[in-house]
Amino acid sequence: MTDESHPPAARDRGTLLKPKLSPTEKGARFFFLVCAISALGQMLLIMVFLFTEAGRLFVSLDGEKGVSLGEFFLSQDWYPTYPSPSYGALALVAGSLSVTLLSILLAGPLGVGLAIYLSSMAGRRSREWLKPAIELLASIPSVVLGFVGMVAIAPFLQNALGLPSGLNILNASLFLAVMATPTVASLGEDALSAVPQSVQDASYALGATHWETIWKVILPASLSGLSTAVILGLGRALGETIVVLMVAGGAAQIPLSLFDSARPLTSTLAAEMGETAIGSAHYHALFALGAVLFVLTLAFNLLAHYLGKYWRRKA
Amino acid sequence: MLEAQKGFGRQRRYREQKLAFLAIRLAAGLSLGVMAAIIIYIVVNGVPALSWAFLTEFPRDNMSAGGIFPAIVGTVLLAVGALLTALPLGFGAAIYLAEYARPGPLVTAIRLGVANLAGVPSVVFGLFGLSLFVTTLGFGRSLLSGSLTLGLLILPTVTAAAEEALRQTPASFREAALALGANRWQAIRQVVLPAALPGMLTGAILALGRAAGETAPIVFTASAAYTLLLPDSIYREVMALPTHILNLATNSVHIEATRPQQFGSALVLLVLVLGLSTFAIVVRAKLRRGRQW
Amino acid sequence: MVAEPQTIIEARNVDFYYGDFHALKNVSINIAAQEVTAMIGPSGCGKSTFLKLLNRMNDFTPGARLAGEIFISGASIYGPDADPVDIRRRVGMVFQRPNPFAKSIYDNICYGPRLVGIRKPQDLDVLVEKALRAAALWDEVKDILSKSAMELSGGQQQRVCVARALALEPEILLMDEPTSALDPIATAKVEEWIKNANLTIVIVTHNMQQAARISDRTAFFFMGELVEFGPTMELFTRPQETQTENYITGRFG
Repeated sequence: MTDESHPPAARDRGTLLKPKLSPTEKGARFFFLVCAISALGQMLLIMVFLFTEAGRLFVSLDGEKGVSLGEFFLSQDWYPTYPSPSYGALALVAGSLSVTLLSILLAGPLGVGLAIYLSSMAGRRSREWLKPAIELLASIPSVVLGFVGMVAIAPFLQNALGLPSGLNILNASLFLAVMATPTVASLGEDALSAVPQSVQDASYALGATHWETIWKVILPASLSGLSTAVILGLGRALGETIVVLMVAGGAAQIPLSLFDSARPLTSTLAAEMGETAIGSAHYHALFALGAVLFVLTLAFNLLAHYLGKYWRRKA
Repeated sequence: MLEAQKGFGRQRRYREQKLAFLAIRLAAGLSLGVMAAIIIYIVVNGVPALSWAFLTEFPRDNMSAGGIFPAIVGTVLLAVGALLTALPLGFGAAIYLAEYARPGPLVTAIRLGVANLAGVPSVVFGLFGLSLFVTTLGFGRSLLSGSLTLGLLILPTVTAAAEEALRQTPASFREAALALGANRWQAIRQVVLPAALPGMLTGAILALGRAAGETAPIVFTASAAYTLLLPDSIYREVMALPTHILNLATNSVHIEATRPQQFGSALVLLVLVLGLSTFAIVVRAKLRRGRQW
Repeated sequence: MVAEPQTIIEARNVDFYYGDFHALKNVSINIAAQEVTAMIGPSGCGKSTFLKLLNRMNDFTPGARLAGEIFISGASIYGPDADPVDIRRRVGMVFQRPNPFAKSIYDNICYGPRLVGIRKPQDLDVLVEKALRAAALWDEVKDILSKSAMELSGGQQQRVCVARALALEPEILLMDEPTSALDPIATAKVEEWIKNANLTIVIVTHNMQQAARISDRTAFFFMGELVEFGPTMELFTRPQETQTENYITGRFG
């Protein structure tokens, strides 16, 4: 039935088929497109507002000299309300990083352990109610956690260890870990469960024990997802505000021991933004801290994204 | 089996497994136990503070007596406002991404935007709300500014959950409607949306549960330490449970004397947030089980 | 005496591409009205693709390109004046897996009529009964019309889909492997319906026995080409092409 007198090479590639859209349909699609673009727009808008307000700190305004970038990033003196104020963010960044890293040292192993338990060890029934329970625990309001840290753990630490105050980076990291663990566990569980059953069966069939299968087959195969889970947990801890505001102690210094007080970026914002005049240098300095925080969390998110991709490509 | 390796290291291998499993069980038990302990601690200390008057009266005597009625009302209003902000935008964006979008740089950019927005700390949303709604648009510290800020905060989660629900309705629904002469928008409105809507809504409620417990975004956009009256317009400041707890515990005149109020408020907030989330999770599980496709 | 059947669908030199994949190569065919035409061939041979061109369902496939022309009742369906929505109302389609909407049986059948503006309950009632009778389902479901179509058996669901398509009173019904997800008893019922239907039907099937049982004419596709087309009896007993013979004797595919 093919027409041999009509050789394929001579034929054109045809016209592109497209669904025809009526005016209402075009209108509907346009509306939804606008909604979708608004998400992107919002991201851009956040950046524009954050960086414009932050930028004003560094330029001269009303005859006052702007703060230098060097002072902002390298000085540890955060004295925004002094007669001759200084706006050094170093101690605050150090405060943020120290509580975040400490908390992930706890939440990483705990969360991954919980994820392994859920995906490979728990029975079907306990898994069925544990998963939603963890999701539920992730929604405990941070102010409640911070409150428990203040009224229960701080006095306990103070008495048990003979400290001047129980509000310190140890206490803060404990509660940040409580916040981050469910995130790590539920993302990690997704990653572990994505390892095909057939691969696990192959390992069992070769005489591996349950643990050997987990350790040598499941974990390596899901490393990308697990590292993403841990980094996203890290991001959540870094951005958490109220817990650290309530229990980290609030001293703008570089913490040198577990029992030192710290003033992370987020708690500085929450504590001082309400007290400052809109448009003052202090106000812009706080936006500059917000910008630093934004860049740090964005970096973590992108890292998680690319690490996930990198491991996937390697696998 | 290779003769030489019969029973190779069997003892050692099982001992290793036992140790590893013990460690994992400990990790799992510890993390769940700690969280359970926190909830129990709040419940045990909060219940004595609860009373009908506590839930329905205004605070008195520098917050050391009376109730938390305006804070409950404020939290509910903020949550409803956030939902009204996030639903149209989030559902619209999800419909575009799930139904219309074809792969390309624009869609990649939108997805990147949504994904990164979800990772932006809530306090940064608070700054944004302060700068845009409170200052630039002149809404002031108000119910409106707070609702918009919370709405934007949950927007990425609402969008992602709604897109997921839309993607789970079978392609055959759309095909069948199109083959019967429906246009694309009719197919979406009449067939896809009714099937996906329950899933989209539970996702939104789950996001809302988290937003209702958020403190940082409303501290500088909406909340007052104390109001004499309930808000009579969206331009009024409101009290809210999370900020009420924060104020009493860190800033109030009588930090120690108001402890019962603090525990009571924490319990009410916990019940509100966990209740909302539990409701959404249970409905979602029911939907998944009863799904006919 | 045998009158020369009247052509209702005519495809002329049709080429079709998915992106760079050349899915249909210079296909020309005349399909007769009031007959059952079966399309057979191994998977990926282009038979379903061709079927979906007949009601313009390929419009929704990104990167789809078409050359050549297709006429239904003498009018080009890819011409500049053709309205795809109108074509889909005239050319019904039943899919591989039963795909009723998550709505009542009644609302499933009414979906098409309501789209064209029929709203009066008494009119719809008449249409629903007529369509369900035509799909040989009326007696089984007449008392449960408000029940969700999702709760019916697979065979019943597929006949709801047939009835839903018939409610628009199409000139042609396209069926894309309509029994591949059904058990033998349900398959027999659908086949029975096809044989007795007073309608132009084009059916794609991977089941040669089915094509032999129910169709008047059969087209054999292979690698995007229409290899052979003729009366079903002749094609199965005296195939003209070796490829056809190889396929129907089970030497490949």
